[in-house]
This record gives sequence, C-alpha cells and structure tokens, in this order.
Amino acid sequence: MKGLILRLEPVIWFFFGSGFLIGCLLFPATIFALGIAAPLGWVPAEALAYDRVAGLAASLPGRVVLLAMLVFPLWNGLNHLRHFAIDLGGVKRDLWIAPLCYGAALVLSLGALFAVVRL
Amino acid sequence: MGSNGKKTIVVTRFDPDRDEVPRTQSYEVPVQSDWQVLDALNFIKDEIDPSLSYRWSCRMAVCGSCGMMVNGEAKLSCKDPLSKYGDTVEVTPLANFPVIRDLVVETEGFLERVQRVKPWIIRAKEKAVEEGPVRQSPRELADFSQFSMCINCMLCYSACPVVGNEPHFLGPAAIALGHRYNLDSRDEGADERYQIFREEGGVYACTYANECSEVCPKNVDPAAAVNQAKVGAVLDWAKGLILPRGGEG
Repeated sequence: MKGLILRLEPVIWFFFGSGFLIGCLLFPATIFALGIAAPLGWVPAEALAYDRVAGLAASLPGRVVLLAMLVFPLWNGLNHLRHFAIDLGGVKRDLWIAPLCYGAALVLSLGALFAVVRL
Repeated sequence: MGSNGKKTIVVTRFDPDRDEVPRTQSYEVPVQSDWQVLDALNFIKDEIDPSLSYRWSCRMAVCGSCGMMVNGEAKLSCKDPLSKYGDTVEVTPLANFPVIRDLVVETEGFLERVQRVKPWIIRAKEKAVEEGPVRQSPRELADFSQFSMCINCMLCYSACPVVGNEPHFLGPAAIALGHRYNLDSRDEGADERYQIFREEGGVYACTYANECSEVCPKNVDPAAAVNQAKVGAVLDWAKGLILPRGGEG
C-alpha cells in the first residue's frame, strides 16, 4: 500500500493542487455571489431562479465545473489532514492514515460523480 | 554600544566521553547592547569556560556554521541580537541532528542528502571549449538565483517537522538546491532529479508547514522551492507517461 501511494503521489498532488486553486478562486466567488450579493439584492432574483440554476448545473459545462468544485477540494482537504496527522503524530501512523484519507477521498469523489451524473 | 547589564546564558553541554545524556550549564555574561548570541558564547569560551564547543566562522551570516536553537528557535547565532531576549537565554544544539559535543551537531546526513539531488550542472553532451561559453540571460539567472543563496546552515532542517519524523526526507535545503539546478537554463538533468524527488522521502513527504522559510536567514524560501518542485515532478511524471523514459534523449 505504501509503494502504491508513493507511485500515485504525483496524481494525488495534482488533485490537491487543483483543489487548492479551486478553493482559493471559485469558493470565495461562490460565497460572494450566493451569500452576499444575492441577499443584498445586487443580483436580480430571477438570475438565481431555481429552474435557471438547475438548467445551468445540468448542462455539460455546469456538470464539469460542479464535479471539479466537489472532487478536487476533497483531495485537497484529505491530503492536508494526512499531512497534519504526520506532523502531529509521526510518520509511522501514516501507514493507516494515508489509505484512510485517500480511501475517503475516493469514495466521496465517486459519490460526487454519481450525484453530478444524475443531475 | 555600551554595557547592557548581565544575562544568564543557559547552554546545553554534552561530552560523549563523560555524559550519558546532555546537561545544561548556566553562565552569567556581562553583555554589550550590540551583541549577538554568538558574542556571548565567544565571551564564555574566552573568559569563563574554554571547554565549551560550538561552530562558528565568519560572524556575518555567510558561512552558515553557527546555527543553533536560541530559546527553542533555529537561529544563526551571529545574526541574532541578544537585546531582543530577556535576562535568560537558552542555547541548545540544532534540533533534528545528532549531537557530537555541546552545540556541535553531526552534518554527515545533511551532506549526504545534498549530494543525492545532484547539485551540479548536468549536460547531455558537454560543449567543446572552442564552441564558447553557455550563455545565460539576466532573466534566466533571475529564475534560480534566489534558490542559490542557501548557505547550508541547516536551520530549515531543525525547523522542519518532517525532518524529525521521516528519516528518508531529503529536506528543504537539498530540495531547494536540486530545484535551483532544475531551473538553471544551462542544466539538462531535471529528469534525473525529478525521479529522485518522487522517491520515498522526496518532495511529496513535505507537509506544507512552511517553517523552513520562516527560519531561513537568507530568504531563500525553501518552501516555495519544494512546492514548485512538486509541480515540476508532476509534469515530469506526466511527460514520462506520454514519452516512455527509454525514448528520451
């Protein structure tokens, strides 16, 4: 398992890095649009009407963006958790922490894929 | 200048012939207001206790030999003003290194890691002398010059939580040095180094603590080098998938 994770590190890190980028750029923009601009009326209510947003999310570009926003940050967060655990408790526990974190990221990613495909 | 009263310098002592474990010894030192921590150690050595062992040389933050922990933080003792500390200052050997004697640590493991990243220019084919020099523009120099400022003081190894945890970890300075050659326009050995970076204890063992850059006395920013090297190692790995290694150069 250790060897497999070592071989997969470049992929995991690519997912982690992408998650970091999305977390920095898209999350604040989403929070601003939905959490601040919409309640303050800066965005017309009809722009965020359910049917319109649902249609946008179900389009191919919408699904790709949604999937990226769900999957990559998952790997970002769980990779951070793994390394946090190493910093706090030593590298020995990584033998079970790493499979646990990446297993969780994989299962949750598949769940996200399933949900996005079903939209 | 001028006297700044007395400070108690608590120094870790260890004599492998006599001590089972390190012990501490306190010295009352009449300090000057412009003294660095190293000045106090030199005073102890010259005036109080000549048996105290520690490394130092240039006194101007260039040679990188006087690294130690001052009140628990990795510092170059020649560039660490005593005036910022209280009446008691604790000086211990660099963390994460085996101690040889007093404040002197074993550098062998560090030097082995530095060599592992092949810190020299690798060329596929050496240019003949008559063909002239390999030219480099100021811009190409600027790409890596920051990472070439490392003085091998090993403070980053003392501050890095991974160095303490993972015996195989290349560590911040060695990765920054390897990355410096990967960024050098004259070098053609990035593939070899990226392979080393991807091995156990390579760049992906870094846990993003950023402590290496916090303590670096030369603003090398090794954390940036390590994380840029991660990106490079990913791209090199992807390139290896498309172009099998056997088919390269």
